[in-house]
Amino acid sequence: MSQIWKYVRVTPSGGRVRGVPARSSTTSISLPGTPDHLSSQSTLILRFVMSIMEHNGGSVVAMAGKNCVAIACDLRLGAGAQTIATNFEKIFPVTDRMYLGLAGLASDVVTLREKFRYLTNMFLIKESRPLEPSTFAHLVSSTLYERRFGPYFCEPVLAGLERTPSGSYKPYIVGTDLIGCLNFAKDFIVTGTASDKLFGVAEGLWEPDLEPEDLFETISQTLMNAVDRDAYSGWGAVVHVITPDKVITRTLKGRMD
Amino acid sequence: MATADGGAYSYSLTVFSPSGKLVQIEHALAAVAQGTTSLGIKASNGIVIATEKKSSSILIDDSMIEKVAVICPNIGIVYSGMGPDFRILVAKARKSAQAYWKIYGEYPPTRVLTQEIATVMQQATQSGGVRPYGVSLLVAGYDVHRGPSLYQVDPSGSFWAWKASAIGKNMINAKTFLEKRYNDDISLEDAIHTALLTLKEGFEGQMTEKTIEIGVITVPTTDELEVGKIGGETGRPKPTFRKLTEEEVRDYLAL
Amino acid sequence: MECSFALTGKDYVLVAADTTSARSIIKMKIDEDKIKTLSPHLLMAYSGEPGDTVQFAEYIERNIRLYHIRNLYPLRPQSAAAWIRRSLAESLRSRHPYSVNLLVGGFDTADQSPHLYWIDYLGTMATVPYAAHGYGSYFASSLLDRYHNPDGTLEEGLATLRRAIDETSKRLIVAPGKYMVKVVDKDGIREIEL
Repeated sequence: MSQIWKYVRVTPSGGRVRGVPARSSTTSISLPGTPDHLSSQSTLILRFVMSIMEHNGGSVVAMAGKNCVAIACDLRLGAGAQTIATNFEKIFPVTDRMYLGLAGLASDVVTLREKFRYLTNMFLIKESRPLEPSTFAHLVSSTLYERRFGPYFCEPVLAGLERTPSGSYKPYIVGTDLIGCLNFAKDFIVTGTASDKLFGVAEGLWEPDLEPEDLFETISQTLMNAVDRDAYSGWGAVVHVITPDKVITRTLKGRMD
Repeated sequence: MATADGGAYSYSLTVFSPSGKLVQIEHALAAVAQGTTSLGIKASNGIVIATEKKSSSILIDDSMIEKVAVICPNIGIVYSGMGPDFRILVAKARKSAQAYWKIYGEYPPTRVLTQEIATVMQQATQSGGVRPYGVSLLVAGYDVHRGPSLYQVDPSGSFWAWKASAIGKNMINAKTFLEKRYNDDISLEDAIHTALLTLKEGFEGQMTEKTIEIGVITVPTTDELEVGKIGGETGRPKPTFRKLTEEEVRDYLAL
Repeated sequence: MECSFALTGKDYVLVAADTTSARSIIKMKIDEDKIKTLSPHLLMAYSGEPGDTVQFAEYIERNIRLYHIRNLYPLRPQSAAAWIRRSLAESLRSRHPYSVNLLVGGFDTADQSPHLYWIDYLGTMATVPYAAHGYGSYFASSLLDRYHNPDGTLEEGLATLRRAIDETSKRLIVAPGKYMVKVVDKDGIREIEL
């Protein structure tokens, strides 16, 4: 999944992702028999290709509980297989009752975090009203779609409590792809290099109407067990549980390898 | 030389007169004061905005004239002053509301849209080659955070929130009338009647459903809000602003 | 091949970079200074595409200097690093991105604390206690994991740095011959002979 050998057609000009220099970590190997249908102008080669989305590694998961939500991330920052830092948080506060998680290219994680901080600050100053998760979710979506043909390599996850007209709070979790397609869920949202594993574990552990402490245990176990099976995520975790009157933040140690 | 009142300062917008006035803006206000009367009243459960619709000839098909305009499902505006200028502002306001919807997935709160219109009007007092808009506006809207709110915007780009206000020809008299009639717990039905009575004060000719336009904001109940921002199968929010039909206006006039 | 290392100690940051300037397989120069002094308490080691490196480093150097002249005080390490990171992130999506990797080390005189940032050409930034770029990083990382002491004295830091450099020289086929080492602390910046 993360690193793959791929047949890549190489033309003399060389194909590249616009704006991002091509990163192929090993030298190309020519195949013994080049298929006939390929012109002499292009050669099919086997390459060790690594996706930009997986270059730095990292995962985020969010879960809805009873009158509360939780969001958690791992702490690894890598450059391919090498680990650079083990203190790289991927979840950021937006308001008192809403956190945004960003997994993907670490450069874009920071750029987007700064962009959304700017946009929320401007919103709060201009409109002098609280920013609700449903409003912010659309802001995230439209901000990402603005770069439809040259996207930020990030898939955000949003977790928060939405204020209802009667004055209570209801859990609100949503994820998007890198171009801002919103994906609403009643149970959980996963993203990052361990997303496939997270899906599996979350599917098994999550149940409806969990109280804050039980939700903390569920999301922690989900993240920890998923990242242990992913070489690109791990090295500890941070978990936030958001309730109407407080946010509980805990840093976890996992397998530090 | 424009010697009548403003002197040499009345031509260029960006030049202050020695007394500290921008005379072109004063002229724009004079244009508003010549326009037909419009008014707005905030009630406990809604807002009413109303205007007199006068045509210079009986041959004009007055069903085509629109002085109360819907901007988005939660906001409507009415004007006094120059019709063509109003049309431009309506187009800009509608576009701005849709642009907001594209970003946030919801329509703008009244104050945000009012500020947007006010900015457009202010820019016309400071840009080269343009004149100020010859209109004053009454903006009526509803949003969850602030509830119903009524704003007035002037050609200078300044705006205020009102409980009740009037603009145009009889604004002085109308405001005095409203001050006497207004109280904080007036109902929407009573407000509509007060609006008609106020218009009647300075009305020239017959007041009929053809010569009156009314728009109302109805505050949704908590249950209606609880259903969510997206209403029913249409995927559109339930409008809180609507224009009264000619039949409805006739019924109110009959009472 | 290019290597740079850096590590923090109790009240200092050590930055080391090789001094080789090479074109392809040929050494052109062996006394190149690849660590810029950005402000009285800020160092930046740069490596990457020849040409881009000097061009970008000078751009950063001049702008940080301009800030100092305009405001009469220098940018703090955190802010400088954030600005440098953004410059690279914006460059990445431009028509001609800079291919430059950096280690930014500084001493914050406001709260008397050392700061070190690992920044790559993608605009990735990590706040770290020790860092390395280039092939040397494959040898140094594990050594630094084992021997780094965040509260260590300068002598201890130099010993750890020497371990990393020695290991790289021993095991890397294309190891550079000489390194320049600079330290930044409360007294400013100075060069140290290893």
